[in-house]
Amino acid sequence: MYKYVARRLVLSIPVLVLSSLIVFGLMRVMPGDALTALMGESGNVSAKELQKLRKDLGLDLPYYKQYLIWVWQMVSLNPGDSIFTNEPISVALKKSIPVTLELAVLAMILGLVIAIPVGVLSATRQDKPADYVGRVAAISGLSIPDFWLGTLVITFAAIWFRWIPPLGYASFWDSPWTNIQQFLLPAAVLGFRLSSATMRMTRSTLLEVLREDYVRTAWAKGLEGRVIVYKHALKNAMIPVITLVGGQFGTLLAGTVIVEWIFALPGMGRLTVEAILYRDYPIVQTNVMLVALTLVTLNLLVDLTYAWLDPRIRYQ
Amino acid sequence: MAIAAAPASHFDEPVAVQLSRGQALWLVMKRKPLGMAAGALLLLLVFTAIFANVLAPYDPLLAQPEIRLAPPSWAHPFGTDDIGRDVLSRIIYGSRISLWVGLVAVGIGTLVGMIIGLVSGYWEGRLDLVLQRVVDAVMTIPGLILALAIVSVLKPNTTNAMLAIAVVIIPGNARIVRGAVLAAKQNRFVEAAQAIGCRDYRIIVTHILPNVTAPILIIASIWLGNAILIEASLSFLGVGTQPPTPSWGLMLSSTGRAFMEQAPWLAIFPGLAISLSVFGFNLFGDTLRDAWDPRLRGNR
Amino acid sequence: MPTDAPRPAGRSRVSRRDFLKRAGWGTVGMTPLIAGVTRRRASAQTASPYPDWMPASTKPPKRGKLITRASPWDPPVLDPRLTNSVGLFQIASLTSNRLVRFPFSDEAANTTDLTIKGDLAESWQSSPDHRIWTFKLRKGVKWQNVAPLNGRELVAADIKYCYEAYAKDGVQSFTFQEIEGMETPDKYTLRIHLKMPNTMFLQNLAEPVSVIFPREVLEEDGDLKKRQIGTGPYILKEHTRKVRAVLARNPDYFDQGRPYVDEYHILSTPDAATRLAAFRSGQSDILFASSLAEVATLKKTNPDAIVQEYKTVQAVFGLALAQDRPPYNDVRVRRAISMAIDRQKQVDTLYGGHAVLGWGIPYFYFQDKVPTAAQLGPWWQYKPAEAKKLLGEAGHPNGFETTLFYYEYFPEMSSQVQLVQQDLKKNLNIEIKISKLDYTTFYTRYAEGKWDGMAWGYKTGYATGLDEHTYQYMHSKSTKNYWRFSDPVIDELVTKLRKTSDRAEQRTLTKKVLDREHDQVTRMWMPYDGGFLVWQPYLRNTGSLALRRNDGYGASTLARLWIDK
Repeated sequence: MYKYVARRLVLSIPVLVLSSLIVFGLMRVMPGDALTALMGESGNVSAKELQKLRKDLGLDLPYYKQYLIWVWQMVSLNPGDSIFTNEPISVALKKSIPVTLELAVLAMILGLVIAIPVGVLSATRQDKPADYVGRVAAISGLSIPDFWLGTLVITFAAIWFRWIPPLGYASFWDSPWTNIQQFLLPAAVLGFRLSSATMRMTRSTLLEVLREDYVRTAWAKGLEGRVIVYKHALKNAMIPVITLVGGQFGTLLAGTVIVEWIFALPGMGRLTVEAILYRDYPIVQTNVMLVALTLVTLNLLVDLTYAWLDPRIRYQ
Repeated sequence: MAIAAAPASHFDEPVAVQLSRGQALWLVMKRKPLGMAAGALLLLLVFTAIFANVLAPYDPLLAQPEIRLAPPSWAHPFGTDDIGRDVLSRIIYGSRISLWVGLVAVGIGTLVGMIIGLVSGYWEGRLDLVLQRVVDAVMTIPGLILALAIVSVLKPNTTNAMLAIAVVIIPGNARIVRGAVLAAKQNRFVEAAQAIGCRDYRIIVTHILPNVTAPILIIASIWLGNAILIEASLSFLGVGTQPPTPSWGLMLSSTGRAFMEQAPWLAIFPGLAISLSVFGFNLFGDTLRDAWDPRLRGNR
Repeated sequence: MPTDAPRPAGRSRVSRRDFLKRAGWGTVGMTPLIAGVTRRRASAQTASPYPDWMPASTKPPKRGKLITRASPWDPPVLDPRLTNSVGLFQIASLTSNRLVRFPFSDEAANTTDLTIKGDLAESWQSSPDHRIWTFKLRKGVKWQNVAPLNGRELVAADIKYCYEAYAKDGVQSFTFQEIEGMETPDKYTLRIHLKMPNTMFLQNLAEPVSVIFPREVLEEDGDLKKRQIGTGPYILKEHTRKVRAVLARNPDYFDQGRPYVDEYHILSTPDAATRLAAFRSGQSDILFASSLAEVATLKKTNPDAIVQEYKTVQAVFGLALAQDRPPYNDVRVRRAISMAIDRQKQVDTLYGGHAVLGWGIPYFYFQDKVPTAAQLGPWWQYKPAEAKKLLGEAGHPNGFETTLFYYEYFPEMSSQVQLVQQDLKKNLNIEIKISKLDYTTFYTRYAEGKWDGMAWGYKTGYATGLDEHTYQYMHSKSTKNYWRFSDPVIDELVTKLRKTSDRAEQRTLTKKVLDREHDQVTRMWMPYDGGFLVWQPYLRNTGSLALRRNDGYGASTLARLWIDK
């Protein structure tokens, strides 16, 4: 077990390094750098001034030096400053990470709370009306563009109920009720999508497991058996579901971008997109690396859970 | 290859019959009405795309601003948009764009992913190690962000959106193909062929590929739907298809949202078109999976 | 994303009933639209159902409470030397003052009243040659009681410091580099020497971007990005990027008794649908609506909302061509293109008649009435056949291909761009490939000035004074000349304008500048609608004047507003 953990950890490092290279490279290849973006508004910048700023921000160094500096910053947990606002990135992150985290976790909870019961229902009543409804609903959830859904929700809530979530962001510790109001709708929109994928996964793995011999035997044996079997079956079916949920975290984070935009939540997703559009490299690099780190860690945890839940599973 | 039970002749037990892929698919579709519905939807989509110029009542680019924002009527069943173009015609032509974006993006992504996965899975070793790490690395970047970054690097237009989506698809495909290749390699035929010194190329084509195509096609079908969604999201963020192209994503995210209250039909129809198409692709992917490899559930 | 173009308003030639019919509303709903609209004194040719000016409220002001506004803009930086963005000045107009200013809505005689009033300066005079300007400051003006200023008194040296800083580097340097030298003979007197005479110098100092910032902050921090302190009616209590800005009443403000409202919250809301929803649900008190149709929709759920038409006195956007190189350096090509575009149709269809055809200098600087189509010159008329002939003469009988990039500041802009694309294809066989860009890419490329082909260009949105509109934007040497044209006749005219003090002569010269611009088609202005401002019914003294939209650059007038709830 320990060897397994150690091996996975070691393998994660080159992945992270590669991710950092990819992100760094992408940022540098973008046309229009941050400085012209910053000062280009009225074109009123002398070439001399631009040079000076470039030097101050370290943008005149050769690429490999910039990369190494950045890596050092990441490793020493001091990600430097945003080019655009000169504000330390760590400050911006401290403010935005809790928002996205809360959104993602809430979405996941909402999603699971809906998905698993519906998935179980659908699997156990396969090919009956309930199953069809469940499957159609799930696929719809995957098919509807989330910015569409989000806009619809906000517009019609305002028209029909004269209500929209309070704008801005109030942390849960400051004013829990406002916070819940702010996050409910966006988490629901995000969770809708997640629940669709999870529901389908739950349904299909449960169906598979239910076909296994030991389940059929237990079924034949009688009602109590069925209950026990559900417990066993569900546990085994949960394995791929956990994998899915872990994998979906990445999609979830991507989904937060649009939802944060529409519901005006100051989270990481919105920060990253705007940084891309503003060519604010340090923020994009740092954010993406953070996400990469999170995903790698999450994958590791999922795999470990997987191995713990089912010792029969062999890995390469 | 699928095994299905066929009615026996004068024996009581069913005899296993080898069905071709197509036959297996048809059987499953007949049994499951949802599968039929999916097939019908997709057929409609392809038909509309191919015969757009015959079906569309007006030129999708013809702007008649005097009749802008007109609600649905006999003359314009889906109404007109912000500069008086017929929405129905634009939706019809939009099917071409959606299908095209989907096919190219998924085509490239699938092909490249397949190559990587094949190479990685068949030869293994250090190459595999490196390739897999690269694949993992790309997968740590959330899809939309990656697509956004790529399109920002290149110019924002339909072609680059397709490329960006293809890049997002590649790693997932590579992983799946690799898994399928590894599984296929366990096959004794492969061992035997390698033992007698068959050329790799032959082995791959004869033994490996057939096992790989099923998962690929299933995933591709679902990715076709996703590709349309990603294109719509990129358009929403302002970096996707360019006006005046009648792409559903652009229609939905620009005029659809801007005029949502004054002219809700501008958002309803493109939204419906997108949803129905993606729905069709997803459902079809499910049906393919049911028909070809029921074990292959729950992969991305 | 932030737009730094405020949107002056327009006149309408459509009757109310025609408009409503066009907007698709039947008789139902007409009544609430008409009721609640008080027919105030509007400009002569307007037929829109909303007034373009709200006179001062006659009710007694009430203190206290809070107003909130969902704003599309977030300040890119807090440093006024580094940006002209309305995202900053929606805040800075309230936290700071300028040496002089333009009138507020409750002291203006009409919507285009631009009489210079004192802000930090009490009185001023200029030498006869308009090269030396002497200002006497108000006594007892205090900086806000925030460290490191701690409420110390403002002195002339502070202002000198600011102007020197502006001239040194940043987006205002071109404007302030006309200052040759400054003296402060005593604490309250500032004397400015200009390099060349400028009768309109006061206007430059009154522009919303010429705010006075504290030297201590710049010296301590090295820049003005982290803290924003001023002498203004509101103190910036909190600023969370992408979330909100909180402004609290300055108890020591020199205009005793004002501001009335205790707190003003600006909530960053990039999405238009969300802003509308916020207004509807009462979370936002002020809203900008870009079209009559949008107002009509809003009125259905909020019939009591106060609506004012924001007067359109000029166009802010137009078709910019890379005219320092072929094919656009040939005036015949420019004229042909201009004649091939049906501007009137855009006005009638996209804006319901409620837009202006497009010209580049606020019309009240050269005449009293809104310009008619004929006054805009022959090249502004829609004459496709002549255009084709002219283009042929210029050597392009079969048209050519080109590109056009833009950023969608508001939805109607996309409609306009596509209509232009269709017009030029149909009439001149010019194939335009459109690129719709995000804000940063757009203004980087546009402001850099090296682009090819066409763009949907602008001039910056804050300009109020005549000097800014003419010399600063049109002189060939100016860094604010985004349209990249170089015309010696215009250079001469705008320089002469600076030396002219007689009002009538100024008008004549300004008209000459305009005529020359329209003759040479140096900037091909397009139809433009200033839009509407909407307020919750409990706000008083809300009026917004031309060129000073009070949710944006004209925010300083909000110190005069109060809540009656």
